[in-house]
Amino acid sequence: MDMIAPLAKTGAISPELNLWLAIPIGFVFGFALFHAGFTDSRRIAWAFYFKDVGVPVVMFSAIVTGMLGLFGLSLIGFLDISEVYLLPTFLLPMAVGGLLFGLGMVIGGYCPGTAIASLVTGKIDALVFLVGFLLGSLIFGDLFPVWGDFYNSDYMGVVRLDQVLDISLGAAVLGVVIVAVAGTLAMRYVQNRFWPVTEPDPQRRQVVKLQGALIAVAAVIGFVFMFFPTKSFIDDYVEPPYYIVPTGEVVQ
Amino acid sequence: MKFATRWPPVPAGILIGISMLLAWVVAGRGIGASGAMTRLVAWVQHGLFPTATEQSTYFGAYFADGAHPLNDYVVVLVLGLVIGSFVAAWLSGELRVEVLRGPRSSIAYRLMLGLLGGVLAGFAARLARGCTSGQALVGGAELSLGAWVFMMCIFVGGWMAAWFVRKQWI
Repeated sequence: MDMIAPLAKTGAISPELNLWLAIPIGFVFGFALFHAGFTDSRRIAWAFYFKDVGVPVVMFSAIVTGMLGLFGLSLIGFLDISEVYLLPTFLLPMAVGGLLFGLGMVIGGYCPGTAIASLVTGKIDALVFLVGFLLGSLIFGDLFPVWGDFYNSDYMGVVRLDQVLDISLGAAVLGVVIVAVAGTLAMRYVQNRFWPVTEPDPQRRQVVKLQGALIAVAAVIGFVFMFFPTKSFIDDYVEPPYYIVPTGEVVQ
Repeated sequence: MKFATRWPPVPAGILIGISMLLAWVVAGRGIGASGAMTRLVAWVQHGLFPTATEQSTYFGAYFADGAHPLNDYVVVLVLGLVIGSFVAAWLSGELRVEVLRGPRSSIAYRLMLGLLGGVLAGFAARLARGCTSGQALVGGAELSLGAWVFMMCIFVGGWMAAWFVRKQWI
């Protein structure tokens, strides 16, 4: 079957054009980060105090959108998922990295993407965070022999949640949608309990309606996915195109 | 803050998801922000110490076969991110030079912790092979086990430290 996407891998577009198209894609990303409120370090940090749970809700929505799109386009035969670079798992380094990253986020108020987006809107604290971020990356790279073995340890290859849980991919997708919706509602509840709203939002009804409709669409798509076998989304017998440079850098 | 400036979280998240989807469909890879930062430090250090950087176990890969570390997809992506955020802030009239912090925090305290948090996050992003965008969001949507563990650990780490830096934010 001839699939159209990924455009750069099927030869539909040249490598140069692919590079140029990264600008509009980055534009959409940066534009969305601003409107998510993520150029404000306080809004990011407040997530950890349940004062503003926008961060996890935005993250859930982005993941669900990306997930439904990625596997949906593969299901209808538009996207050849065996040509997509899927992230491999190094379990323990990623767990420790996550803990440290969380510390860095609540102490510094940003993550790299949001700090860059914030810096160009004039925020000095984002500039300082980025200087620190570059320093941290430099320390990691220059002293790499110290933690290189740990960095490359616990390698599991490309492993998905449905494989870990031994369920179909469609069921895992539906599970993620359910977790995202339940997580959103739970966090909203905690936020309202600890930080009750002092002035009611006049647009609240419209916002609830809009978001409810979007969530319903996601739930329906996730439900439909559950009826398809895993191999109609992704063929696990095709080797994923990831590559590991044992002592060096992987693309992300 | 006006509605037009800050969107409700679900539509804002969907637009971020769409940018991820575009990268998969066009380039066959995910978006990310921290990779460009690593390439930037590799490039700066190479300007100062070319031989040592090329021989470095970690940074050396960026210079293999005469490659330029900034000539890469993730760097162009960040260029687009910069333009996108700037245009959005400009259209919303939110371009302002300021230090964002909680009501009880001094500017010096905020900047000191901003730097410290940056160092921690920079180190952590390298260890985890990605940050919130390149690892958590992209990997999360790909149902990657490592990405979900990374994401959960971000919130655990953040909640663990939140009490100690509360004066900075609330």
